Amino acid sequence: MSIAASLMPGELTAKAPLRRKLFRQLARTRLSGAILIALLLLLWEVSAARGWIVSDNWPRFSAVLVAAYRGLLSGEFAEILGATLYRMLAGYTVGCILGVLFGLLLGSIRLLDWTIRPLIEIQRTLPSPAIIPPLILFLGVDDTLKIFIVMLAVFPPVFVNTYGGVRGLDETLLLTARTFGLSRFGTLRKIVLPATLPAMTAVMRIALSLALIMAVIGEMISGASGVGNYLMSMQYAMRADSMYAAVICLAAAGYLLNRIFLALERALLHWHHSTRIE
Amino acid sequence: MFSMKHSSRVVLTAAFTALATVASAQTVRVNYIPITDVTPLFVAIDKGYFAAEGLTIVPTPSTGGAAGVPGLMAGAFDVMYGNVVSTVLAQQQGFKLEVIAAGTKQFDNPANTNGLVARQGDPIKTGKDLEGKTVAVNTRNGIIWLFARAWINKSGGDPGKVTFKEVPFPQMLDALRGKQIDAAFMVNPFFNAAVTDTKDFQLVATPYRDVQPDVEVGHYISTQDYFAKNKETLAKYSRAFRKGVQWYNANLRDPDLVRIISGFTKMQPDLVAKLDLQTLPEVVNLASVATTVKLMKDNGMIDGDIDLAAMTDPDALK
Repeated sequence: MSIAASLMPGELTAKAPLRRKLFRQLARTRLSGAILIALLLLLWEVSAARGWIVSDNWPRFSAVLVAAYRGLLSGEFAEILGATLYRMLAGYTVGCILGVLFGLLLGSIRLLDWTIRPLIEIQRTLPSPAIIPPLILFLGVDDTLKIFIVMLAVFPPVFVNTYGGVRGLDETLLLTARTFGLSRFGTLRKIVLPATLPAMTAVMRIALSLALIMAVIGEMISGASGVGNYLMSMQYAMRADSMYAAVICLAAAGYLLNRIFLALERALLHWHHSTRIE
Repeated sequence: MFSMKHSSRVVLTAAFTALATVASAQTVRVNYIPITDVTPLFVAIDKGYFAAEGLTIVPTPSTGGAAGVPGLMAGAFDVMYGNVVSTVLAQQQGFKLEVIAAGTKQFDNPANTNGLVARQGDPIKTGKDLEGKTVAVNTRNGIIWLFARAWINKSGGDPGKVTFKEVPFPQMLDALRGKQIDAAFMVNPFFNAAVTDTKDFQLVATPYRDVQPDVEVGHYISTQDYFAKNKETLAKYSRAFRKGVQWYNANLRDPDLVRIISGFTKMQPDLVAKLDLQTLPEVVNLASVATTVKLMKDNGMIDGDIDLAAMTDPDALK
């Protein structure tokens, strides 16, 4: 039927019932995604209102919206999101810089590779939350700890991808560079960096959400600010509506960060085909 | 709510500016769990008792629990509120701690603020009834776990035949409703929510009261190092803090107390107003602590002896 429809669109559209016409129009827009979300939220609202799910941790979605409105209006959410984003971006930046730096160095200098890589390979298998107690002993419970935890989570994937990118370089490219008498730095700048940049930015985008998660986990342990601390306080204060409101704002912030990253990536890598997807 | 938070901040700011002129102004960083037990700390801040002693208090909440003693040892904070079992365990493990002030004690009064809760209609009355069942505690090897075991033992059951599951306090009610557990040792505000919902839940027992009626649940501690180097500061701290306890005990039903509690726990004022509040102790009673330590020994949590007097500030005893 659908094949027929695509073969003879004009004829079928004229005869198709209204319902089918609506569905076809829906398929041309991205509206279906929004409708699914709206339906799920409606289900949430009804399940809480009708008592299908009875729990203090299951408020009505409308109550969450009210809490979000209040939180945004009073500036409280801006404050907690700001604290979290600051820690996240600080740890993310340091993690990315170190990951790229080590990836380039270890990828191109064999002695460094053999000396340092075993250590990194061990470090990257450690789940950050598991080593938080000893970290507290050295770093305290303030910003340093949280930024470090974020850095620790961001570094390994960025390193691995950069390193892999450098090691996977086409031999012909390097030989060509040598033929043209490019210096080591020149090769790095003109050959290695452009060739590994797509792999780097791809992993950095993944690391972005990782950084946000780790920042929130870090704040859940201790401290008086940030989204993580807020989520815990609201649970213990039996204010599930405010908790979900903060979660939604956090998700929105994460989504926004991703869009910003994509825009930057497109500007930076306009020549690369992977940026055209999506 | 936010105006309350704001006003407590105004008080703090006022304290800061007042102190800025005093040359000997000192800062004490205090780690706490946002529960009603630590209210006197915030009373003392709110009423300016610390400021009057020339102290600035920087309160840091931790809800996760992991930060506690490691944070204290790392110097991330100077004083913390901790439960007696964790303190004794840490001491046993070689962390040198000093009890500097009384925190929470179970007094003989009719108000319950914590207890073992089960689903309404389930035949659970004694520890014997819990054999083969699952009981939720907030952490293993914590004070809640210890007293849940001790109560089961005391009421004719074998704690070895009971499965203990770690469930965070905010999720205990849901776990009970979902039948993932059969009983839970809860604290406020969740305990209050459970026992006021008699359609769904029943109070089985009050383990603290039933096992050791005078148990000292929590204390304020510092490291022995900090204690030795800051005797004068801590003396001021304890004086101001004790004034906070006295005000708290004398004004349990004061609307101002609701404002203070709501400010640091973030609970809505109408919820705070519903909660029963326990009188809090001014002094540490070492005999009570010794009884709890013996209970820990009986349950295999520690094996050596603990010199309690050596790790308690003499001023906290009187």
